[in-house]
Amino acid sequence: MNKKAMGFLTVASSAIVLAACGSSSANSNDQVIIYSNADDEAIEVMQNTLNEKGFEGEYIIQSVGTSELGGKLLAEGKSIEADVVTMASYYIDSADAQHEMFLDLTSSQALIDEMSNVQLPILGNVGSIFINTEMLAQKGLDTPTSIKDLTNPQYKNLISIPNIMDSSTGWLLVQAVIAEYGEQEGQQILADLIQNVGPHLESSGSGPIKKVKTGEVPIGFGLRAQAIDAKEEGLPIDTIDPIEGNYSLVESVAVIDKEDDEKEQKAQEIALTIANEARVQLLTQYPVALYEGESVSDEPAYLKKWATTLTVELLQQHQAIFEAAKQ
Amino acid sequence: MLKPTMLMRGLSIIWLVIFIFFLALPLGAVVVKSFEGVDGWTLHNYEQALTSGKFKEAFFNSVWVSTIAAVITTVLAFLLAYTVHFTNVAKPIKKFIRLGVTLPMLLPTITYGFVLIYAFGNQGIFSRLFGQPLFTIYGFNGLVIGYVLYTLPAAFLLMHNAMQYMDHRFIIVSHLMGDGKWRRFYHTILRPMLSPIGGAFILAFILSFTDYGIPASVGGTYDVIATTLYQTMLGSIPSFSQGAVISMAMLAPAVLGMIMMGILERGNVSYKSLSQQVAFASTTKTVLFGSGSVIVVLALIAVFTPLIIVPFTTAYPFDFDFTLAHFQAVIQMPELMNVYRNSLLVAIGTALVGVVLAFVAGLLSARTKLKSRQAFDVMAMITNAVPGMVLGLGYLFFFNNSSLKGTFFIIIAYTIIHFFTTPFLMVKNALQKMDPSWEVTGALLRDSWLKTIYRIILPNVKKTLIEVFSYYFINAMVTVSGVIFLVTTHTVLVSTKIKELQHFSKFNEIFILSLFILVTNILVKVVCEFYINRQSKRG
Repeated sequence: MNKKAMGFLTVASSAIVLAACGSSSANSNDQVIIYSNADDEAIEVMQNTLNEKGFEGEYIIQSVGTSELGGKLLAEGKSIEADVVTMASYYIDSADAQHEMFLDLTSSQALIDEMSNVQLPILGNVGSIFINTEMLAQKGLDTPTSIKDLTNPQYKNLISIPNIMDSSTGWLLVQAVIAEYGEQEGQQILADLIQNVGPHLESSGSGPIKKVKTGEVPIGFGLRAQAIDAKEEGLPIDTIDPIEGNYSLVESVAVIDKEDDEKEQKAQEIALTIANEARVQLLTQYPVALYEGESVSDEPAYLKKWATTLTVELLQQHQAIFEAAKQ
Repeated sequence: MLKPTMLMRGLSIIWLVIFIFFLALPLGAVVVKSFEGVDGWTLHNYEQALTSGKFKEAFFNSVWVSTIAAVITTVLAFLLAYTVHFTNVAKPIKKFIRLGVTLPMLLPTITYGFVLIYAFGNQGIFSRLFGQPLFTIYGFNGLVIGYVLYTLPAAFLLMHNAMQYMDHRFIIVSHLMGDGKWRRFYHTILRPMLSPIGGAFILAFILSFTDYGIPASVGGTYDVIATTLYQTMLGSIPSFSQGAVISMAMLAPAVLGMIMMGILERGNVSYKSLSQQVAFASTTKTVLFGSGSVIVVLALIAVFTPLIIVPFTTAYPFDFDFTLAHFQAVIQMPELMNVYRNSLLVAIGTALVGVVLAFVAGLLSARTKLKSRQAFDVMAMITNAVPGMVLGLGYLFFFNNSSLKGTFFIIIAYTIIHFFTTPFLMVKNALQKMDPSWEVTGALLRDSWLKTIYRIILPNVKKTLIEVFSYYFINAMVTVSGVIFLVTTHTVLVSTKIKELQHFSKFNEIFILSLFILVTNILVKVVCEFYINRQSKRG
């Protein structure tokens, strides 16, 4: 074989080797992988805290949508890529019941509400209505005070809400409606609301606030904290606590049992740092007390919690009601 | 042609193993999964899907919206190709049409959706220009526009290619015989073009039917099958067996389309010799078609203007001052630059390995007497019919418990297989056109087969190989549909990162990353064109 022919084969084989090398370098990484469903504001707080505590470069945060992460936890169990997750508490419990996949975590502080010992709460998300005041005035619309108000035909195609099928924020709305009006009337209200929402049913919990901020629609339902942030940025945005209630969801941090001691230990340290050290700053963004001794200013007017423990099964039931209302 | 040697047999066996491992088995895994029940084999999954109103609605929505988009695409593609080949429009304008129409190919489909929102949404650039939104962009409308943008380049290239091989002298003869306008158009253009027109329609339909990027960004509440599959697999309550059933349903129209394409192909008209002298194009026709086509292409380019406006304004739509702040912020994010490097690695790996594999397959198929050579044609047929999402899902099922899971290797393998058809056909066609006796001559001169390949075949097929490189590279940069099931934290690509950023509605980052892809692809295209031109001049 002459030199040139050899050259050709070398190029060909090196191409294959290059591809193979690329793959091995991806695996040789010992960074702790954190899957998080949190908003980018919360992720920023976690990142800053971890970096301050000397974890810079030792972890990588991957944001994943709530339902996507939930699906991954349920489907993959321990073989999930992540070492640490921050996620809605009910999903962590359901996944643990199915796969026994998390390590125990204990906090130095006492919790207000009892929780399973595989997770530590890091923030509480509260839902509310929010409005773009300028646009509302421009269109000559009444200011709504309840979720039921939003079914008024005057708001047709002017409301944005998150879809409970993809977003846990959407569940906050459905919880408020069902708790207040019962399943039957609740479903009718949801049906009318979905009619009014039209094309503005969002797959992401932060979809509605973006639409209200950019003026795509004047009214939205979503996380109260995000609307308050927008107002503080100087945008013409107000929050309205619906009389049906500001329901809340707790998000927690949990460590996956990977049977790899060294990495597991680091993962646990990181999880505890998020739970203990980032909490102060997260509390100002998400004003819901979770640990004893915490005080909050600017608490929502109608703070409420679902009467029983939240579970994936309950979510499924509420999703079914929502889907039926959509037809 | 030479008698099959050990080397040829060896290469062909290697290829067949690759074929089985990276195409047949993953697809088999989808089929198996679709029949898998809690205890043993079952039809329950299919029953469940067929009785679910949601699934049926999504399926028929997909069929309907893809049909409408395919009709529009076919008509537009025909008009554009007709203008380029059968009118006297000035050469630079023809070139503008040719290049302009292929622009969307350089971007991921998921980007189109976001661009459409910023072009025609309530705060969109055109909505502001006209004082109000021209129509609702979410749902059906957005999907149709997105699909047309996406499928127009491919449909145009197909017709453009077919018209290149038409003999214009038939039009002259028709003129001389005094045929009426419509009669002439029907006999000299429409009838010989029927097969490519049908092909373009089917192609546009299948591409639309199986695309995930556009509905992911602009679908709104209009459920289509691709988003249903994604929700079923990665939604809040995942069901793998239901996902497999939806995949099978997604495969059905694609397979049907491929069969129809085979039937249409028989109606192909072939010409003995060619004359590309444009015959008797009247000035009216030239002006009419020329301006029409230019308007279409300008509109197409205009849709993409938000891409270069939004990320460079301080706070769209409140503050329109020019700024580079968003751009700088993205460049400084280590995570995003990592993602870009990942994409480059995958694109280069795909292109390099892809060229080698396509060349070997083409060589074995076109220039040997191996009995197994038909397998390559079969494989090309299959990869053409299998939607990216279905193949990606197959990889997820099949490689889930192997050490290949979560590696760049698996993404590169997927991309090479998924886009295999076109490169293979390009190489095969080029090799078939060459003198069939070269290898024999080489053997008589006592050159080994490898030496003949290297000294004679390779130099003659270099141009095609560069085209294959560019094809693989660009497609690897823009693909979303199947890789969404395969990427992990360390292997996130720019295209899948865009999907992730959607979650936070970070449009500045989305657009800047899209620009990264666009500029990279343009650069690669320009460099490849440069080499191809140099080769042509030398040859």
